Amino acid sequence: MNNVFLEAATNLENASIKKWKEKGGKIVGYTCSFLPVEIFYAADILPIRLRGIDAHSMEISDSYYGPFVCSFPKAVIQLAGSGKYDFLDGVVISNGCDTLRRMNDCWRKMGEDIKGTLPSWFYYLDVPHKPDGHAFDWYVNQLKKLIKAIEQQFDVHISDDKLKKAINTQNAVRRIIWELEKLRRETPLKITGSEAYSAIIAGTLMPVDEYKKHLIEFVSEIRSRITDFAIDKKKVFLGGSICDDFELVSLIEASDAVVVGENVCFGIRNEKDRVDENENPIKALSMKYLSASVCPRMMGWYKDRAAMIIDRVRKIKADGVILQNIRFCDLHGTENGLLERDFDKNNIPSLRIEREYGPLTETGRLKMRVDAFIEQLKSAGINPQ
Amino acid sequence: MRPELKEYNLDWLFASTFSVAKNLGKSSPDELEYVYKYIPYVRPLLKPVLETGKPALTFLDLFGDYYTDIVNAKENGKKVVMTTFCFDPCIFYAVENLLPVTLEIGTALTSLAWKRGSTDFMDYCTEIGFSETGCSSQRGAMGAYLAGLGAQIDLVALNMGGVCDTNANAYNFAAQYLDVPYYGLDYPSELTSDEAREYHHKDYRNLVRFIEEHTNCQFDIDRLRDVLEEKRKQDDLMNEIEDMQRLVPNPVPGIYHIMIYAARYTYSGKKKFTKMLEEMVEIVRENVKKGLSGLRNGVEKNRSFLVYIDNYSYGVALYEWFEKKGISHLGNILSRTFAETAPYTTGIPGTAYRIDTTNFDTMIDTLADINARMPMTRTIRGSYDAPNMWLDDTLSLAKIYGADSCIYLGTPGCRNTWSNIKLLARDLESFGYPTFIAYGDSFDSRVETWETSEMRFEEFYKIRGLL
Repeated sequence: MNNVFLEAATNLENASIKKWKEKGGKIVGYTCSFLPVEIFYAADILPIRLRGIDAHSMEISDSYYGPFVCSFPKAVIQLAGSGKYDFLDGVVISNGCDTLRRMNDCWRKMGEDIKGTLPSWFYYLDVPHKPDGHAFDWYVNQLKKLIKAIEQQFDVHISDDKLKKAINTQNAVRRIIWELEKLRRETPLKITGSEAYSAIIAGTLMPVDEYKKHLIEFVSEIRSRITDFAIDKKKVFLGGSICDDFELVSLIEASDAVVVGENVCFGIRNEKDRVDENENPIKALSMKYLSASVCPRMMGWYKDRAAMIIDRVRKIKADGVILQNIRFCDLHGTENGLLERDFDKNNIPSLRIEREYGPLTETGRLKMRVDAFIEQLKSAGINPQ
Repeated sequence: MRPELKEYNLDWLFASTFSVAKNLGKSSPDELEYVYKYIPYVRPLLKPVLETGKPALTFLDLFGDYYTDIVNAKENGKKVVMTTFCFDPCIFYAVENLLPVTLEIGTALTSLAWKRGSTDFMDYCTEIGFSETGCSSQRGAMGAYLAGLGAQIDLVALNMGGVCDTNANAYNFAAQYLDVPYYGLDYPSELTSDEAREYHHKDYRNLVRFIEEHTNCQFDIDRLRDVLEEKRKQDDLMNEIEDMQRLVPNPVPGIYHIMIYAARYTYSGKKKFTKMLEEMVEIVRENVKKGLSGLRNGVEKNRSFLVYIDNYSYGVALYEWFEKKGISHLGNILSRTFAETAPYTTGIPGTAYRIDTTNFDTMIDTLADINARMPMTRTIRGSYDAPNMWLDDTLSLAKIYGADSCIYLGTPGCRNTWSNIKLLARDLESFGYPTFIAYGDSFDSRVETWETSEMRFEEFYKIRGLL
């Protein structure tokens, strides 16, 4: 596994972040894929996706959140309350779901109790639950307000040119990730899902230029690989709640399977999944981040999402799909129920599992279910294509 | 699902129950006691309701009509729209061929009147793919409609985007499962800005287009005006009740709250709801004149404000326990309107709505404003401690009603409030309001039995020296 990506994906304050801070760079954390990272890059600020990977208990977050709540935001609050995010210069919370929305309330309250845990800049981005019309206009205005707030807080100027440059760089990264995605589909297999996934996650935790350089090298290395991965490994597509640790992917792959694609809040969907460089930058970012969203929080657009996922599963030639949701994540929990039905109609085998977030996942139970699913795929010899 | 449940249509069961029950007003006390022997599980709801006199009969009549209309919808050429409890249904009554069915009210009614509530329906939802951790308030009645044991649903329309994901998600699931059109109003986290107001208005106009498109029906301006004028009367009556509730002792019987909001979320803009409110106002005014408490035993020992919803999981056991202990129920988040004429909206312009029936456009904007200011859409959309949100509302209401304590009751499916109730409770305590957080499920007694809930209530009131 690539050491740079592994280090970045498994450490909250990884080497790249430390280096960035040592050079006096600013870092802002964000909670959800509805935040256009290009805006921060245009301000020479490093945006990093907030995670809860090192949280092994919830004694701090339990003081703020109730018990019937998804363990992902609780894990983030736990880490923030433990001082693990003290290196942040700011945080943007957005309303990805009710619980994430309330992270705004919980973190602020915790900041009153535990001094120093609330970053000096704490911002709420109000993302609508619709992709078009007045909702699109609202989001555009939200991004404009966000830009103003960043300019004011960090004494920077975010020009259209800087935004365009940032968009161009991110698109270049997306193109390379798409190359990686294509390599994941090759037979014989050239790369494990955990390897690929750690590279994808690392992209949300490293400065983009550094990431791009390593990603090019990584893809080139994979391309030249001559592998002897067993051809009878079952190809699995992973969908559902946020999954920002590749331990779940590793667990699946320990069951004689390989994860060849995901729809879990990270990565890209297809080769067209990028920001339009010919449009006004804010409009273009809104088109990509809001209108093209595939999150179940955008209610009323299930059919489009299901069609897109089924299309991806077919193109990837996956043998089956594992749909997971973090307990109390009703958005994915329920959508997974609909997807399970529609996969069935399309003769695509699927397994639906519920888990706790990341480090809190009970691996034994999940391993047993995944083992059984892979065994079923093997014995049935089902090929949806 | 128990096979016997599959033998009945849920709407028909409700229609029959309420249509029969409304005739009990003509019974003598002895006859009533005799009837109660045969309806042991409906009794805990029916008896306290009937004891309220005239309003009870109108309440039963209203629900008898409501469900009978739903049962006969297809026969009468009407379409049925599945909707939620914090959506004002009066818009649907402004269209000739549309009838709303409000899921949460159906769930509450089964919980209140059936031995096992709607737990079979809840589990049915899980069987067909809905998240088992989703809110029980929708899962109850929804299970019946998804199992084909209720009216055939033609469309789904609601207003919970941005407020309660779990709710909107449940209705989205139902729409996808039944393969019917869906429209969800969406709300920004802010309420009073011009930008938010414009968002509300545009979104609501899209809903109007959605309704017209899927019902092949144009809104009749005169009919819409009539409905809104009726709603204005209802708001005024509800506000008068709320205003009288400020008196000590509180002259409003606690059970009125559940009767009011159950009717409000199903029959807003309809004359029978007005009639029920008028009858209630008459009784409460009489109590005021005589200086009487709304409690049956007449002695008010404590005044409790419910910051969210009530418990319906075992009849009206919570109300009855309050009665027994001498606790005045000061209503909950669902009880009140945020019309500009309400006593508690004075001085906070922009957070309340005004009914303007000048023309079609003003009426549609009024409806958009109303729906953006329904109890949940108004109060728990933004940060709990932002101006005019949950903390502000709770503190001001607790103050004007002279509450001695605050109670949180909800469902484990409520991600929104379970993500900040601990913060709210802390703040309420710091303002001097002893606050109790109940961990049960308002609609599902399997989560916590009433006996356990009761024990915890006892403990709270005793330890905090409230009784």
